[in-house]
Amino acid sequence: MTTSTTPRQGTGSVPDSAGPPPPVRRRRSWGDRLIALWGVLVLLFLFAPILVIIVYSFNDGRLLIAWNEFGFEPYRALLERPAIRSAVTVSLQVAVLSGLLATFLGTMAGVAMARRPGRWTWWFMGLLLLVSVTPEIVDAVSLLPWMVFLGQDAGLAVFDNGIVRLVVGHSLFSTAVVSYIVRARLIGIDESLEEASADLYAPPVRTFRKVTVPLAMPAVLAGFLLSFTLSLDNTIVSAFVQVSGSTPWPVYVLSALRSGLRPEIAAMSTVMLVLTLLALALVGVVLKRSGDSATDIARTMGGG
Amino acid sequence: MPDTATLAAPETRSPAPPPAAGGNQRLRMPRFALALPAWGWLLVFFVVPIGTIVWFSFGYKPGLFGTHANDVLSFDRYREAFSPTFFTTFTNTLWVGVAGTAICLLIGMPAAYWMAVKAPPRLRGLLIALVMVPYWTNFLVRTIGWQVILAPEGWLSNLLQSLHLTGGPLDLLYTRTAVLIGVVYNYLPLMVLPLFVAFDRVGEPLREASKDLGAGRLRTFTRVTLPLARPGIIAGTVLVFIPLMGDYVTATVLGGARGNMVGQLVASQFQTAQNWALGSAMAVVLILVIAATVGVMALVAWLVSLPIRARHRLVIEEAS
Repeated sequence: MTTSTTPRQGTGSVPDSAGPPPPVRRRRSWGDRLIALWGVLVLLFLFAPILVIIVYSFNDGRLLIAWNEFGFEPYRALLERPAIRSAVTVSLQVAVLSGLLATFLGTMAGVAMARRPGRWTWWFMGLLLLVSVTPEIVDAVSLLPWMVFLGQDAGLAVFDNGIVRLVVGHSLFSTAVVSYIVRARLIGIDESLEEASADLYAPPVRTFRKVTVPLAMPAVLAGFLLSFTLSLDNTIVSAFVQVSGSTPWPVYVLSALRSGLRPEIAAMSTVMLVLTLLALALVGVVLKRSGDSATDIARTMGGG
Repeated sequence: MPDTATLAAPETRSPAPPPAAGGNQRLRMPRFALALPAWGWLLVFFVVPIGTIVWFSFGYKPGLFGTHANDVLSFDRYREAFSPTFFTTFTNTLWVGVAGTAICLLIGMPAAYWMAVKAPPRLRGLLIALVMVPYWTNFLVRTIGWQVILAPEGWLSNLLQSLHLTGGPLDLLYTRTAVLIGVVYNYLPLMVLPLFVAFDRVGEPLREASKDLGAGRLRTFTRVTLPLARPGIIAGTVLVFIPLMGDYVTATVLGGARGNMVGQLVASQFQTAQNWALGSAMAVVLILVIAATVGVMALVAWLVSLPIRARHRLVIEEAS
């Protein structure tokens, strides 16, 4: 950009930030100020209930809604109550397992869509789209009878296991998400490396393992972390397919809703929120290091 | 695109890879072989269960303890699903769905425009991360946050009372308005994200070109930015509307008896009433209503765009 010495018109952004900052004439109009104010207000709106939950997780009262005084009692209760501990453990187990399962299925499907496209791709994409737009409640109510049928009528006892049921239920949407992400990444990379590998007489399986998978790795990793988070937060499907004894934490919260919310719920939510944010930050780092822009990351995390 | 790829395949890459060193030349696998596990998985745990639901919806509930029976098939459950009590809930849900989506669009559009266009570029990543955090926070927890805010004995109520802005305690919780606030809040990120991507994609050069060619700010927005952001607007609207119609959590936490939605209705048939046949029929009706509404919205959007396109055809064609 050596030729662009003429000052740019307008208050637009200058993409190159090499060298001293250019003299941007920032004559902010009232419209600009209003729209910035609006944007900030929307962000505040988006954070309001989350901040409320975090603040109220330090409520030393008996009821969540009625603020009593500041204290760490809810967090201590978190450690002491076995029901909460087991709910969190179940959630973490299920999140890892369903994340791995969805990553396995989705990665292969994504590679196939990107590298072996054909008429089948449209059908498959259609199915994935259907999976991602079906309201969760419909998923949930249709899985319940099916699991009961498989477990009791068909005699497949695995489907009476709470963890298995949750893993299956959580894996569906996540598989679609991983497939999208992996496909999008591989479509962006030209196939010449794989061709070179094949030309050098690597058998297809080795090409897949040594070339395709490493190329897709950032997407695979991001897909796994997103699946992990999706599973950790899944409420509706979990509420229907769960078996008592292996209750994940959102379902525990849902049942607490009926019996009266205590501050521990907020404390547990805060802990899980921190966990989710850590996973998301990792996704961001992984995608950023693989060269994605903020927009690409937004698109990936917005669910394709 | 896949057609050209299929055509080009034989030349660009050898469909059967060259004989491997070990000579383990196997049967050529079909193109979709790698996707087969995912196919199978989704077939068994998505397509078949939904098919079962459709099948159940033609059956009935046998006696007090049975959940479903299909020996006599009829459309009676659908008739039941449209009985006045349930029908009110359906119209209520549709109202919340349409109003909520419209409000999301109104709130989200300026916010996304600010983030993608007006905000300093180095802040953009941060801003989008800030939208992402609530989106990825547990849905139920966020909604409970609103319950704390809107509660009659909560801090907002106390604040408004001490400022003498309201006469008595806040009477919002467990109403349709509370549900509307809840769903607008819960689904707003799904509107902002695609809009952000769309506005961001329009790019600075096109806007500058428009200004250089003498268009004012408003004209640049309505004639360049907005038409090019149309895919984002459509995506956002659909992404918000579909899950909103099937919402279960928001209405459960904030709606109470006065703010019922179809999602709860379906859930209660499966969980408390144990009438799987009726619940299935309701779920099928819900899907059909969503599909029909999206279809109608698409039609309306298309009809509205016709006269605009006719007038600005040159602009749109050049820009895209």
